[in-house]
Amino acid sequence: MTRLLSVENISYDVESSKDDLNLFTAQGLHFRISRRKDRKDLLKNISFTIDAGETAGIAGESGAGKTTLAKILAGIMKPNKGSIKFYPSLKTNKQKPNPIQILFQNNGEILNPLRKVNQIVEEALSINLKKMGKSIDLKNVPEKKEKIFAAVNFHEILRDRKGFELSGGEQQRAALARILAAEPELLILDEPFSSQDPESQLNFLNLFKKINEDFGTAMICISHNLEILRQLCSKVLIMYRGEIVESGPAADVLNAPRHPYTKYLIKAEEYGLSFEELKHMNKL
Amino acid sequence: MLSVSINEVKFKGINPVRLLLENIKFDLEPGKIFTILGKNGSGKSTLIKSLTGLLDKKFYLIEGEVFFQGENILKMPEEKLLKLRRNKIKYVFQDAANSFDPLKKLKYYFDNSAGHKSDTELLLEYFLLPVQDELKKMYPYEISGGMAQRIALALALLANPKLLILDEPTSGIDSAIANLMLLKLKDFVSDGNSVLLVTQDLIFAKKISSKISYLADNRISSFSNPDEFFKIKEYSDPALLNFGKLT
Repeated sequence: MTRLLSVENISYDVESSKDDLNLFTAQGLHFRISRRKDRKDLLKNISFTIDAGETAGIAGESGAGKTTLAKILAGIMKPNKGSIKFYPSLKTNKQKPNPIQILFQNNGEILNPLRKVNQIVEEALSINLKKMGKSIDLKNVPEKKEKIFAAVNFHEILRDRKGFELSGGEQQRAALARILAAEPELLILDEPFSSQDPESQLNFLNLFKKINEDFGTAMICISHNLEILRQLCSKVLIMYRGEIVESGPAADVLNAPRHPYTKYLIKAEEYGLSFEELKHMNKL
Repeated sequence: MLSVSINEVKFKGINPVRLLLENIKFDLEPGKIFTILGKNGSGKSTLIKSLTGLLDKKFYLIEGEVFFQGENILKMPEEKLLKLRRNKIKYVFQDAANSFDPLKKLKYYFDNSAGHKSDTELLLEYFLLPVQDELKKMYPYEISGGMAQRIALALALLANPKLLILDEPTSGIDSAIANLMLLKLKDFVSDGNSVLLVTQDLIFAKKISSKISYLADNRISSFSNPDEFFKIKEYSDPALLNFGKLT
């Protein structure tokens, strides 16, 4: 049975799961694309679980279907087969309207270029309050906004700038601020570190760690940068040709890989592959 | 092979003239891969563009000399410069997908490339790309960023240049493909050619470079071999310092 999902309309399973910690379960996700007469299974039988507050990484090369998976997990796209269950935390009585949020790869198109960052975040906060059935108490907004801007290290001078006036990294932090306004329980990050210099990557890494600690937000980080996953995630999943070929605690998988493809990825990271190895893996 | 001695590059817009680069002096020898590291906005791309007159003279003031095979490139007439960039000094820019005209099928680029069909085919196979006839039918927007990067590099190599200048060759591509590029570039310089590249990818720089330098505060450090380079302790860039400690 296909479960209909959208960011606006996640189907909840409010009963507590067997495992109290379980926040998110993907079961047997399958996604197929058809172009003209070609058919390709982009995702095959993807299953995994995420606990509350857990950070999981998904690695694999370009074209492995990582972004498609991110969109399906966020509910933007519908899988052909499989189900996604989300167990919101029972700590809060009120269900959050948008508990799963996604931060896209920055390509300069993730922010409205003509609106001020301040307005963007304020609006997101108001919408969230409204959806939670609270009256929009404007007194509350500045305090929350301050907390969010502080969490993403967003300097005051930048807050009155418009999207197009910001650099790539600043845009991404502004987008992150907007996302945090929805108080997500699960944050999906799609290649959050692409097109950043090593120093900004380090800053972002610390930022995500801080968000995870301060807000207890669970994260799924999709990246081909293994070093980042090693530092950010407690658990990793390795994707190859649309399947998860290996998964487990990050330290185990990335330090003592078992699957040949994981070994290959680790060797590639060090630029230690020979032409034969490259060719072999790409022909399989 | 290429001897650079640029005193100043300045930007003149409506605003006051701004100094972008000063005292850029280095020599590129044959058979080696030279890498320039530096943060976003440090002027890496400006530097490589200034070498062959790619900066618009309306906006940029360049003072200095760049000698290639006994001739000062910066004094060459435009026509000769074009020829030089077509045959001897080839560039592959960051975001290669945008180097192609979206209204022209890739056939246009392959037909205009200098390579023989069989050479082209071999190179495409090497880069794990589809065969030429299949690629030729495609528009640039139909291919992925990683593919565009490989095609642009293949086309540049087909011209048989003496010097290849690459701007962030690994950005947006996964490490396996970057690995493939590394092997090809090492192969390319082993024939007595040179490569000059700018990147932020520290591991790539360490593995590929014969010599590395660092661009910061408008100036470039002298080129040193990778082991020495990462031993230096006084980098202002924490990522670089961190990396140096790890390796």
